[in-house]
Amino acid sequence: MNKKWTLLSGLLASVVMVGSAGVAQAADWKPTKPIELIAPAGPGGGWDLLARSMQKALTEEKLVDQPVLVTNKPGGGGATGWNYLKSKSGQGEFLAMTSALILQNNLLGKSDLTFNSFYPVANLMTEWEVVAVKADAPWKDGKEFFEAMKKDPANMHIGVGPALGNNDHIQFLALSKLFGADPKAVKFVVYPNTAAEQIPALLGGHIKAITISLGETMEQVKAGKIRILGISSDKRIKELPNVATWKEQGVDFVYPHWRGVIAAPGLSPEQQKFWNDTIGKMVKTPTWKKAMQNLEWEEYYQDATAHAKFLADKNTQMKESLTAVGLIK
Amino acid sequence: MDTVFHNLMLGFDVALTPVNIMWVFIGGLLGTVIGMLPGLGPATGVAVLIPVTYGMNPTTALITMCAVYYGAMFGGSRASIMINTPGDASAIVTCFDGYPMAKKGKAGEALAISAWASFVGGMAGMVFLIFLTAPVAAMALKFGPAEKFSLMLFALTATITLSEGSILKGFIAMGLGLMMATIGLDGQSGASRFVFVEDLQDGIDFLVIMIGFYAVTEVFKNFSDIDQQYSVDAKSIGSVSMSKEAWRRSFMPWLRGSPLGFLVGVLPGAGGTIATFLSYAVEKSASKKPEEFGHGAVEGLAGPESANNACSCGALVPLLTLGIPGSGTAAVMLGALMMLGVRPGPVLFEQHPEVAWGVIASMLVGNIVLLAINLPLAIPLVQLLKIPQRIMLPLVLGMGFMGTYFLNYSSFDFILVSVSALGGYMLGKLSIPIPPLVLALILGGMTEQSYRNALQISNGSISIFYEKPISLAFLIMAVISLVYALKRHGKIVKV
Repeated sequence: MNKKWTLLSGLLASVVMVGSAGVAQAADWKPTKPIELIAPAGPGGGWDLLARSMQKALTEEKLVDQPVLVTNKPGGGGATGWNYLKSKSGQGEFLAMTSALILQNNLLGKSDLTFNSFYPVANLMTEWEVVAVKADAPWKDGKEFFEAMKKDPANMHIGVGPALGNNDHIQFLALSKLFGADPKAVKFVVYPNTAAEQIPALLGGHIKAITISLGETMEQVKAGKIRILGISSDKRIKELPNVATWKEQGVDFVYPHWRGVIAAPGLSPEQQKFWNDTIGKMVKTPTWKKAMQNLEWEEYYQDATAHAKFLADKNTQMKESLTAVGLIK
Repeated sequence: MDTVFHNLMLGFDVALTPVNIMWVFIGGLLGTVIGMLPGLGPATGVAVLIPVTYGMNPTTALITMCAVYYGAMFGGSRASIMINTPGDASAIVTCFDGYPMAKKGKAGEALAISAWASFVGGMAGMVFLIFLTAPVAAMALKFGPAEKFSLMLFALTATITLSEGSILKGFIAMGLGLMMATIGLDGQSGASRFVFVEDLQDGIDFLVIMIGFYAVTEVFKNFSDIDQQYSVDAKSIGSVSMSKEAWRRSFMPWLRGSPLGFLVGVLPGAGGTIATFLSYAVEKSASKKPEEFGHGAVEGLAGPESANNACSCGALVPLLTLGIPGSGTAAVMLGALMMLGVRPGPVLFEQHPEVAWGVIASMLVGNIVLLAINLPLAIPLVQLLKIPQRIMLPLVLGMGFMGTYFLNYSSFDFILVSVSALGGYMLGKLSIPIPPLVLALILGGMTEQSYRNALQISNGSISIFYEKPISLAFLIMAVISLVYALKRHGKIVKV
């Protein structure tokens, strides 16, 4: 079901494509047709919510004169949407949401596209990764949990989703190593429907812990049903003052689960400048701040230059950690 | 108990404001229309509405989205009855007896039966939701991968028992469906399986196959007698009321279908398709005249329709109690609500009772509104039958291809839909039943994932399937349904 997406924006998008003949090359470029924000996943997920928050902020704060549409292009772990963006080379009206998955897909050999196939416009927000157990579980922090894991790895099943090799999975492998447990002995149970399956499985006692992003566990934490053993942020977060970071627990591990925005390849410097400036303005508006607050996301803005460097660094880091756990051979 | 009624009154206070009633009506109407179109389901309808909800207060937004959701449940069966083209997977079963009824000239009555059954199922589902949410949610947590696998196995074997003709052909159909379900990226290891062209990487979308097998195949079948009209007289198609006999025969299926649908809806990831197929199997085995099924049996329409709507209420239990979406539509609703700063979940009832109870009360109101929309809507709908086949068939074909394209915006799906339509035509000629194939394709991936998850948890021991009591119970039921089918099959051979 979640493959379906809006009929309305689809119709509009086809109108857009009809009217796409000839982009004006003025010194001061501005979008000349409706702007399309591509969420490379179905409605309801992180990319979709990010695109819709941008749509809201760009429109309500009148940062652009053209209408802003969100189109969902699910499939291939983001690849379908990014391929679509690539086909819009040189057109400044198309932006796509992105995350570490664009690096992972490439490193794991699932896709030829990577960060430098596009113009990285900005990094926008981040969530943090956590390891969570049931509230009545005996383990209070990372150390206790991984000690138990060393003794009896065969009965410590860890829920992960939607597929191995993602941020959640990498976090847990890295932590195992840092806490002295054998990453290769970890028993992962893969849940393709992510939190929708992982949380009931944890609460029902079918698995011992889940490795997941914070937002998906927040409601359970507030209700006192789930305990978080540690968080991948560099300092404690406001909403959970009692949850210690991994760093405080003695392991050097800070790991953002970020999402950003990329534009089509082959843009003119004027087009690049327009989006760098506009997004820079957008992240300062009250509409954007409110949207981030509603979604309980942390702002993590980097402009185009900073983001390009960040992506290159992350790519190197990720290659190392994926090689270390044997996912890249 | 007092608090429930107190809360419900609070809910009606919220739900019965003119603005909210207006949005229930608009949402319900939009949902009905979207549900009727093949390929467009409630998830699409809710997604279209997201920008509209930006300016609303969160309660009104949630009320509107819920109205679209159950509106689509009402609408999904309209197309099944009229043109044998299910609007959504959970409306497949409606084709079995709804379409034969329409062909016999009882389209109006079939539409009325399905609307009333949807209404009863929806109302019963809401009552269960109000009084049973806490215990049922606790029960659903016990439901692990082993239980899920056994339930799926039972649903698959039960479908074979309800297919027409040879049981061997039922198994062939199921095998084909399960094989098709393995195409694509494997969820556990990420390896590609049977992906010969890149477009198949995400697997075969069952909705594409469904449109091919039902809508397009139906066009092929009718092509030979394109000048024939339905054998109906103008008087009978106009009547959209239920006969006394239909009321009497609907009653027990409602009583069985509603609780069954609700329970299946609560289970993580099960959904309306299983609920409707199981309800159909139950009705067929409970009936004194099982031979009427597939030729316009009232029970075969009333049971699954009530199960489907009760199921959509059940699917809201995990959303409201755990904050996790039980279905694709619920996921879209969750996303839209988060943008408005409301997070459904265990603390919603305590922190925002007016939101939670307002929505529940509005769904009770919405069910009545939808019945009021759907009964009169049947009058213009049945007029469709007066359209000559040579105009109707191209329209169905066009709608089928349009629906296909809107699923994934992939032109590759046109090839899939055409191939599956030819396949469906050939299977029809070989009298191999379609339903087991479609159900196996829908459930195949989930069945495999549950099986592997269960084995991961038991560290490779299959004892997990028979040591867990719920799982064992489903396995026994699966065996019983097979024995039943074999017995019935034996009789057919003697005749």
